[in-house]
Amino acid sequence: MDYKDKGVLLSVQHLCQYFKLGKKELKAVDDVSFDVYKGEVFGLVGESGCGKTTTGRSIIKLYNITSGNIYFKNQRIGAGTLSYQNAIKEAKADAKKKIKNLNISTKKNPEQAEQNNEKIKEINKKLAETIKKNKEEITKALYDQKNCDKEFSKNLVIENEKKYKQIFEEVKNDPVKLQEAKKKYNDELRIAKRSKLVTQIQMIFQDPIASLNPRMTVQEIISEGLIIKGVKDKEYIQKQVYDILEMVGLVKEHATRYPHEFSGGQRQRIGIARSVIMNPEMIIADEPVSALDVSIQAQVINLLNDLRNELGLTILFIAHDLSVVKYFSDRIGVMYYGKMVELADSDELFRHPVHPYTRSLLSAIPLPDPIYEKKRVRITYNPLAEHDYSVDKPTMRELIPGHFVYCNNAEEKKYKEEFFS
Amino acid sequence: MEDNILEVKKLKISFRTNNGTVKAVRDISFDLHRGETLAIVGESGSGKSVTSRAVLGISAGNSIMDGGEILFDGKDLLKVGEEDMCKIRGDKISMIFQDPLSSLDPIVKIGQQIIEALVLKNRESRKNSRKEFNNMLAILKRNMIESSDVSKKAQINKIIKTFNDFNIEAIKLEESYNFSHARCEEIIASINDFLFKASKKQRLDIPAFIKIYLSKLEDIKDPYFTYGYKEELNKHKRILNEIKIKNRHKFSIKTGFKKVFKDVDLATRVPKEVNEELKEFNSVLEKMLTEAKPNFFRIGYYVYKNPNSKIVDKPIEEINDYCYSYLNEHFLNVFLDFEHNAIKNSYNKALEGKKKVVDNLETLRAFFQKGNLKKRSAGNEIKGVSSLVYESIDHLAIIKDSVAYTFATALKSNIKKYFYNESHNAKEEVRFARQTKKRDALIAKGKKIDWKVEPKKTVSLDDQIENIVSSIDRLEGKYKEDIAGKDNIDFAKMSISLIDYFKEKASGAVYKVTNVIARERAIKLMEEVGIPEPRIRYNQYPFEFSGGMRQRIVIAIALAANPDILICDEPTTALDVTIQSQILELIKKIKEERNLSVIFITHDLGVVANMADRIAVMYAGKIVEYGTSEEIFYSPAHPYTWALLSSMPDLDTKEKLEAIPGTPPNMIYPPVGDAFASRNKYALKIDFEKQPPLFKISETHYAATWLLHPNAPKIEMPKVILERINRMKERAGEDNGL
Repeated sequence: MDYKDKGVLLSVQHLCQYFKLGKKELKAVDDVSFDVYKGEVFGLVGESGCGKTTTGRSIIKLYNITSGNIYFKNQRIGAGTLSYQNAIKEAKADAKKKIKNLNISTKKNPEQAEQNNEKIKEINKKLAETIKKNKEEITKALYDQKNCDKEFSKNLVIENEKKYKQIFEEVKNDPVKLQEAKKKYNDELRIAKRSKLVTQIQMIFQDPIASLNPRMTVQEIISEGLIIKGVKDKEYIQKQVYDILEMVGLVKEHATRYPHEFSGGQRQRIGIARSVIMNPEMIIADEPVSALDVSIQAQVINLLNDLRNELGLTILFIAHDLSVVKYFSDRIGVMYYGKMVELADSDELFRHPVHPYTRSLLSAIPLPDPIYEKKRVRITYNPLAEHDYSVDKPTMRELIPGHFVYCNNAEEKKYKEEFFS
Repeated sequence: MEDNILEVKKLKISFRTNNGTVKAVRDISFDLHRGETLAIVGESGSGKSVTSRAVLGISAGNSIMDGGEILFDGKDLLKVGEEDMCKIRGDKISMIFQDPLSSLDPIVKIGQQIIEALVLKNRESRKNSRKEFNNMLAILKRNMIESSDVSKKAQINKIIKTFNDFNIEAIKLEESYNFSHARCEEIIASINDFLFKASKKQRLDIPAFIKIYLSKLEDIKDPYFTYGYKEELNKHKRILNEIKIKNRHKFSIKTGFKKVFKDVDLATRVPKEVNEELKEFNSVLEKMLTEAKPNFFRIGYYVYKNPNSKIVDKPIEEINDYCYSYLNEHFLNVFLDFEHNAIKNSYNKALEGKKKVVDNLETLRAFFQKGNLKKRSAGNEIKGVSSLVYESIDHLAIIKDSVAYTFATALKSNIKKYFYNESHNAKEEVRFARQTKKRDALIAKGKKIDWKVEPKKTVSLDDQIENIVSSIDRLEGKYKEDIAGKDNIDFAKMSISLIDYFKEKASGAVYKVTNVIARERAIKLMEEVGIPEPRIRYNQYPFEFSGGMRQRIVIAIALAANPDILICDEPTTALDVTIQSQILELIKKIKEERNLSVIFITHDLGVVANMADRIAVMYAGKIVEYGTSEEIFYSPAHPYTWALLSSMPDLDTKEKLEAIPGTPPNMIYPPVGDAFASRNKYALKIDFEKQPPLFKISETHYAATWLLHPNAPKIEMPKVILERINRMKERAGEDNGL
């Protein structure tokens, strides 16, 4: 796997995203972990409502995540606090219980009072330590969650200053050049101050109609990101927009038109152009082809493939059309009701699906082959009947290198037997 | 010959827009066999939805029907009025729309939306059945009199009167039976509700419920319905009365005060024995429903002849048999003789008429083909032929001859269109000349002009004449076929089926569906389409359902009125894979159970492979390929089908996808030649100049591409598809080997 040598670009660890529904809590994403390597296409599949889109949106910080960590280029960009709060709660409850037991024993045997008192002190001390530790973590998480971009821009500013110090030294004697350099320095400083780490991850949304502002021209839509970033050079923007339009297969003339004048496939191209112009390292494509016709689907997939090869992009591809995902992705993660149930290389996953849900999902793919279709039997997945998680709790386990399944001990054994027989 | 339930012939539809007329559907023809699935595949904008909407008569307001016919049950759906269309829509043909959310009413409860069609349809059919019964009887009488001697006229009158009278008697008996039947269904529905609530541990007002049951039980007294169950019913009545007394509210001043002023209901937990008893009662009632229905057509005659007889006290089968022999002996044999003669007479008369019409059509066609029509002469020509055609229709035939019934109106409207366009073209010419003159004059003066002369919107008169001639051709073909097949007619079978028709209409007149029964049916239907806990779901609003569930509701609504044709317009495009396959399985299952004919519209070829018996591939308003699903997938012939197949990845695809370059053509100015030529890498020179006709590949497989012309160069289909087909065949071979 050559792309694995390039290192991890995005790392999602124990991501949880809960939504409040009145008194209840909806666990949209529950303890999902995966790594995305540089230059690969990672596919997320699952039925609607299983939390794939929420995962994508949490990564790009459209939601404040409830718990877990997200690392992008080894820097924490998102962090949740719930796990620490739960740890504090647990520790408190634990300590309370212990102290209660000790108190009871003191009442029964008064001679042990001194010993017990010491024990209680110790427990309290330990509790205070854990609380302090966790609270520190919470502050750190909150700081990272809020200020990850600040750190990034601070670094950029420092780099910028270093770079221009040299240049200023060189052109010290030429007032004209010095002024030019100063102007350039100011421009770049502004951009550096405003740039964010998160903008290196861009998103392509599902519905090309709803995600474009109907009152902006294509030029305005595409260049909006650059302007917010602080670029003021209009000629530069114009040139960039034209280049990008050409890259995604549109022409210059389209720049002055409005979104409603385009067909569905072209609108999706505009969406792609808008995200590519920010020169991102990673693109989260949230069902970019499911609203499109078959022939246009192929065009968009080919375009994404070309962009990936040209720009070396990493793509997190969210979709429910399995044949497209299979075609496009290097690795695939299967999600079911907020949990990641299976994760493997795409060929491996389709050759040896292990988890019953993956099997049922694969059995539902329609193919353009009447004889096959007439024989195809859909496997239904019933989680209550399949699994018994009452005692033996499931976790993510690695069956063979690179192939993870969500299972408990008994199931792991069973899967392994099936796998190697 | 296959039994066609729906025929679409040379349909042309265009839309008036600000930029010009968009030609959405350009001359397509297909037919739908009974009990099959026809899939229409194409990109968006290829006119597949437009076609299906035209079938249902819900085209957009700016649409123009340029020509063609949609024949269904003796009617041309393009020309029936809104009133008649209402009876067809939902009842005979219904539709599942693409977006389940926007096709449900957000402020009406789900259950209400499902039973709406059931109740409305029932009301309408009750009204019509009686009317149709009388009409057919009048026609039969006329034919009977014509077919026999004058001396027998009195006898015929008497027979017909007897037939009518004993049918009225039968209807009366059946109405009483139906009333009891309906009450029984209502009690079952109510008990089911009660038991469901009890199972959810709700507190219920037991005496109030039992009071309802008892009062409804009072109404179940039809002797035919209760035969053999009287004692059991009486027993349950007694037990229910006991329960009612036992559970009676113990009124004290305190509880009375509470009830009156604080509105506290007197509901209690349901005791076990009440539950058991109601279950037992329910099972008895359900058993009663499954009993065979007596044949009131036979009994009606017996009762009519012997009004005081005690026939009721025998088992139903015995009654049926006895009345059957009685009826045959005393009446039906004579009646059948007359009827047989009448049908023969009517058929022969129609045949004579048809021969005459065929002779006349030749001159009529020559007249229209000459062109240059005059209003008066054209009117005279068609007047004679129309009356001839009307005479040539066999009115006693139950399966209506669509072509003959619609011929006169179709011809008339086509001729009307011809004259309208004639005058309109002249006006356009004048306008164009005037504007050009004005513009030229202004330019000559040296002024700057910022407006253009609007292009001429003329319609070719030759096309109109072609429309007229094609409808004449169709009639001629149909009639010649009929004349050729005259020896194969089974008159005995026809007379039996005519009597069946009378029976059906008579019982249709008294078949009543009340709201309570409709509710129970709707709940059954919801169960059938796979909605869990339908009794709770029945009272919910559409927004409380998920996408897949909503689509199921839409299917349930479409099926509520038991249609003959179901049109599915991209029913699964908005759903994900697992739900999609569930819904497809559901549609397939229901289709097989109810022998539905399905038109399935989609752009996803993968979906089609499982569903369709035959596939029509549409592009730019035309059908480019047409064949069974095996033919389309294993030996596609049109470059567009190739492109569609190669642009979707399957599980073994590794190489770059072959996307179709460009976009579909602008249908305001449809291309002269093959519409797909500009996106087609296999396009020949002729593709840009002339439209290819449908070439026949096999008995069922047609494709419109010049590549199939004998003079065309041999072009193999793309390698990707060849490989895929080979792979599929290998896989199929492997499976067969196992």
